[in-house]
Amino acid sequence: MEKAKITAYQLFALVLLFELGSALLVALGIEAKQDAWIVILLGMIGGLLIFFVFYRLYCFYPDCLPTEYLQKIMGKGLGKSVAFLYMLYNVYLAARVLRDFGAMLLTFAYIETPLFIANTLMILVIVYSVSKGIEVLARTGELFLVFIYFLAGSGVLLVLFSGVIDLHNLQPVLENGWKPIIKTTVRETIYFPFGELIVFTMIMPYLRDAKKIRNVGIFGVIVSGISLALVMVINISILGVDLTERSQFPLLSTIQTIQVADFLERLDVYFVIALIVGGFFKVAMFIYAAVIGTANIFTVTPPSRLSYPIGLVVLILSMTMASSFPEHLKEGVSIVPLLLHLPFQIIFPVLLLGVAYWKNRKHKKQGTG
Amino acid sequence: MKRHVAVFFIMVLSLSFLAGCWSKKELNDLAIVSAVALDLDKQGRFIGTFQFVNPGNVTGGFQGGGGGQGNAVSVYSAKGDNMDEISRRMSTKVSRNLYYAHANLLVISEELAKKKGILPILDAFDRDPTFRNTATVVISHQAKAADLVKTLTAIDKIPANKMIKMLRFSERVYGGTMNVMIMDVVRDLTDDGKQPVISGLNLKGSAETGKTLQNIMQTTPESAPQIGGLALFKDGKLTGWLNGSKARGAVWTLNKIKKTEININKKGKKAAIVLEVIRQNTKISATTIDGTAHLMVKVETEGNIGETKVPINLKDPMVIKRLEYGFEGAIEKEIKSAITVAQKKKTDIFGFGDAVHRSQPETWKRISKNWDEDYFAKANVKIKVDVFVRRTGLRSNSFLSDVK
Repeated sequence: MEKAKITAYQLFALVLLFELGSALLVALGIEAKQDAWIVILLGMIGGLLIFFVFYRLYCFYPDCLPTEYLQKIMGKGLGKSVAFLYMLYNVYLAARVLRDFGAMLLTFAYIETPLFIANTLMILVIVYSVSKGIEVLARTGELFLVFIYFLAGSGVLLVLFSGVIDLHNLQPVLENGWKPIIKTTVRETIYFPFGELIVFTMIMPYLRDAKKIRNVGIFGVIVSGISLALVMVINISILGVDLTERSQFPLLSTIQTIQVADFLERLDVYFVIALIVGGFFKVAMFIYAAVIGTANIFTVTPPSRLSYPIGLVVLILSMTMASSFPEHLKEGVSIVPLLLHLPFQIIFPVLLLGVAYWKNRKHKKQGTG
Repeated sequence: MKRHVAVFFIMVLSLSFLAGCWSKKELNDLAIVSAVALDLDKQGRFIGTFQFVNPGNVTGGFQGGGGGQGNAVSVYSAKGDNMDEISRRMSTKVSRNLYYAHANLLVISEELAKKKGILPILDAFDRDPTFRNTATVVISHQAKAADLVKTLTAIDKIPANKMIKMLRFSERVYGGTMNVMIMDVVRDLTDDGKQPVISGLNLKGSAETGKTLQNIMQTTPESAPQIGGLALFKDGKLTGWLNGSKARGAVWTLNKIKKTEININKKGKKAAIVLEVIRQNTKISATTIDGTAHLMVKVETEGNIGETKVPINLKDPMVIKRLEYGFEGAIEKEIKSAITVAQKKKTDIFGFGDAVHRSQPETWKRISKNWDEDYFAKANVKIKVDVFVRRTGLRSNSFLSDVK
């Protein structure tokens, strides 16, 4: 653990940018058709519950990283192994997001550029900022949050002025009942993007004012959930369900429909900025968590020494994890949630919390008795 | 020293990365495509005709620089079985890289739309990242698509721009046409409750004279593109046309009218009183009861009296009221005639199916497959129009009332 402190607002900015990161760009929860926004809001509620699990765990051990309290809860050997698995999980997710990011850039802007170049340039910047530590990342986030919300605000206004929104596209609500909605929530949105908040367990101990964590978390999840739902509502009401479903990046298609006064058009740069800023923070948070955690398990000091090697692993993994973009997406939709997200985001933390409760209750009894 | 070398090395490295020279394309190596026209040859292959901008000849002499005397555009054609092939074969005729980001117009010939339909061609335009799917689509009516993009135009020197502006302007002030984007067409094609409708363009005059500069050197260009009707589609194929007031009736129903004029006969004179529509709002709804569809169109519109040919007392609110009834009847007739044609062609271009989908989602699942044939074509149509005449212009009664 490095010696650093961040403010509540900085943590909030990081949570928000991380949540919006790649979720903003894809058709989140589109399996529920026009009710995707309900799915996102339900996922948000699920995300709040998951966050509370993380938060309770943090309350038991406010001064240690999860890699440490894992060892306290489960014993040294087992705790270290599980912590190491978590670090692998972080590295894998970082590589996934990096691949998403590179493939998106190549699909619509840099068609002739090799994936390797796009990913390398991105990871160089990320690894550099990670090696500078959490304070630098947090301050960058503080700056970019304002920027992103300014873009979002002006983007929404321009879309409204273009007069292309047709709310009829959102009807009929609940066409196929609650079943597909619950199914999509449980299979997708609860983990991506909300459950991924688990990386923030590695950052919570850095907060200067520990009491604020709960509010920052709740507020961050709610604001990001509402933002994502709103973006999906706009996407679907402009593009319709079919086009949203077929678009690799619905947000890009939405932004391309902006035509105001014959000169405010072709604002694709909005999408590129959202893509790069979001991708940067998401990958950076995962890599930072992996760096700090691994350094903690193997007692490497200073932790930043690990950022370049881990960055290299992420880069190579991002290149080799799938041979085509459809394969990559398919893995992300049908394999990762149940095989990785479910155990790592929900099952392990809940079990840990149970054990932590049990252990600490015993401690208390001993203390009073 | 070592540090200096390292810094120098990094700077040289970033020079090569940050210059942005990866797959660069110089401006004078680009051929800017302004319009794409698609025809069918006798063997059933596609003929792609691309209109390229000659940048030097577009700017006029007034703006300084060497405003050339040549054509503002050059047009080349290539054949192929798919869009990509056409685009690549074009390189045997054009010396530069094709640049599609400014291609704002896609012209599809009537023949192609009828025989092959638009389904086999649109994917390329929808998928390609440089071609915008906000580009306008039109169908060439009684003309080859290629001839439309070959015809030189006056005022707006780039023919593609002229056609798009014409569509937009006419949509705004007259209402018989619509500026339909590729995106809209694709959305309607995938929507089970609505069929696409695309504006048509005619070619006035002969195709041969249109190609020469002489054409635009006259005060009245002999050949020029003209707006002509709306093309109805069913299952991706062109099935019929709506012209004149019927076309406008369709645009009313689609709630796309911005401004237009409506006239009624009075005192034995045709088109004697004219209403300038300044705003309108149309809502459609539909339900099915016992296997019959009931369609409802509700129009609310406001306007001013624009012209009278007969003396009439416009100071009297009761007279205005009677005029409103007259206008309501006229609008209702137009809408009715448009819906009747669509019903005859069995293609629901208005989205009544979507309305059923919204109001009766359970029923819709059952009937969506044969909505066009069994329900829409036989549906009862109810049209309710409310016209409000607000003002009468600068004069109350016409001078005609006092002509001695």
